[in-house]
Amino acid sequence: MSVPVARDADTHRLLPWPPAGAIVLETRGLVRDLGTTVKSRILDGIDLTIREGEFVSLTGFSGSGKSTLLYLLGALDRPTAGEVRIDGVDIGSLDDDGRAALRGAKLGFVFQFHFLLPEFTVLENVMLPILRRGARTRSDAEAHAREVVESLGLGELMQRRPSQLSGGQQQRVSIARAVANDPRIILADEPTGNLDSMNGMIVMDVFERLARVQGITVVMVSHERSFAQRTSRQLVMRDGQVVEDLDQR
Amino acid sequence: MSRVVFFIAMRQLWDRKLLNGIAVCGVSLGVLTLIAINGIMQGFQHKFIDNILRISPHVTLFDRQLRPAPPLLARAYDGFVVTDVAHQSPSERNLRISRPEEIVRALEDMSEVVAASKLLVGSAVISRGSQQFPVEVRGIEPTRQDRVTPIASYLQVGNYHTLEASPDAVVIGSGIASRIGAHLGEVIVCGSSLGTRLNLKVVGIYESGIPPVDNHRVYVTLRNAQALLGRPDAVGRIEVKLREPDNAQVMSSKFEHMFAYDGESWQETNANFLALFVQQNAIIGFVVGAILAVGGFGVLAIQIMIVLQKTRDIAILRSVGFRRSDILGCFLLQGAIISLAGAAVGDIAGHYVIQMLGKLKSRTEGLVKSEYFLVYEDPRYYYYGFAFALSVGLLASLIPAVRGSRVEPVDVLRGQLG
Repeated sequence: MSVPVARDADTHRLLPWPPAGAIVLETRGLVRDLGTTVKSRILDGIDLTIREGEFVSLTGFSGSGKSTLLYLLGALDRPTAGEVRIDGVDIGSLDDDGRAALRGAKLGFVFQFHFLLPEFTVLENVMLPILRRGARTRSDAEAHAREVVESLGLGELMQRRPSQLSGGQQQRVSIARAVANDPRIILADEPTGNLDSMNGMIVMDVFERLARVQGITVVMVSHERSFAQRTSRQLVMRDGQVVEDLDQR
Repeated sequence: MSRVVFFIAMRQLWDRKLLNGIAVCGVSLGVLTLIAINGIMQGFQHKFIDNILRISPHVTLFDRQLRPAPPLLARAYDGFVVTDVAHQSPSERNLRISRPEEIVRALEDMSEVVAASKLLVGSAVISRGSQQFPVEVRGIEPTRQDRVTPIASYLQVGNYHTLEASPDAVVIGSGIASRIGAHLGEVIVCGSSLGTRLNLKVVGIYESGIPPVDNHRVYVTLRNAQALLGRPDAVGRIEVKLREPDNAQVMSSKFEHMFAYDGESWQETNANFLALFVQQNAIIGFVVGAILAVGGFGVLAIQIMIVLQKTRDIAILRSVGFRRSDILGCFLLQGAIISLAGAAVGDIAGHYVIQMLGKLKSRTEGLVKSEYFLVYEDPRYYYYGFAFALSVGLLASLIPAVRGSRVEPVDVLRGQLG
């Protein structure tokens, strides 16, 4: 069960990063306060632009605001102030259903814990977002889900339930679910945080391939310095602000 | 609701077979109770009302005049004003219905009326040898009366129509026959409080299934009853059978207005029993409602538990594009399926319980007589079972479904929920 990596078949060298394209994620003066009685400022005026094809890692100490920024970039949360634009759409202008539709069409999520639905097989877990989007018939959705699952080296596990998989396999299934609807952006919140180093490497290979080969924009929160160094751009956060923006191409 | 929501709902239901099976059992028990208890209660009530409607008239006109005739002087001289200056002493005359044949014909001409018949009713004692027994004597016109209350169809032995042909015939109830040991063809003596005695030949023994009737009522010809009770040519009441028994109260008022005699519908005659039935039904409704509500609480508890367990799944579904309405629909659908499955199981079990009870030998004596357990299968209650179960199930699912739909994925991801 091999995982395809982003290397040239002949030279075995890493494929080059695709050229940065149009702006897909943009924030202006983004502020997020949390707490009901005592408010604490988690994000403090972030201006950020992420382009198509970039593989961005968000790093920083715990509490620096990485995950909060990721949830706002994913339209899972609403900003206290400022603006988030996903593919040109201001999420503040969308209602709840509009944001759900946007997530289903343009975004894919991978979390630290796989959050796979335990009642469904691997194939069905991957099919659910496709079916919800409603753009394909059931048989088309199944065929596409099979393709995605196989592309991540999980072909033999399709009919298994999440409880019958290892942690690394579960995380790869959650990546398959994230890419099932051919999203423009994948947002990953410490996807390797719950894995051993071997499985962590495999998951990173998958992300790198998605970014380098398929040109999908990936934004990943990570504590692992070595994994962050494998991305094309690293944003270092501290106290709710982006303090460093490193181009690592 | 999209097909994928249906798919998720069905899979989650199937994956928690035990829990959901318990919820289905709770609902089906409520529906079964609804059907079985109503079947039992309706069984007795229907039998009673059915018997009453067959052996009793729908409307009876009594000999009490509603508009008394004006004083003699006022009748003799037009416009004469008469004032009572003393309390009138009660009349010694027996009450009777004037021109009864005209009233019967007028009634039979009405489209709402099937038949009408004249009667004279009084008390007597019948004796056979040393056996004596007080009875209610009903003097009837046999052919007409049979069209109002089909006594002939209740005859166990004998020939009802002999009553008309034979001048000294009597038809007695089965209870009376067994008490005095009378058989068909035997002669019994019937005596009134006036001392009149008639020798009557038993030409028929009937059993209506209503013990108070079978144990106390004998039928003779109107002429014999008039002779026995010392009221020649008197008619004490007129009994009427209607095409629509449920209209009896309206028709009774109409007859009162037309003929100025006191009328009584079968509902008024049996008002005590009918009021008792209403009260019984209300109590049963309350008990069954409570049982269904308990079933609903079962669904509520299980659904809340599932929503709490599923908070993370809800969060992930929301993050991949599912809307709040999808989550709401998913849990409501599960509640509806549990309710409908419970209703179906309850309806089927209820049907078999009713069938089984109906075959159970249980001798009933009292207001009605029956060899078997009295049950009545009313198809409406199967629909009621479905409707109640669905309402209770949906209502019970609503709280957890709304709760589930309000889950904010970001709260779960931050670890504040789930």
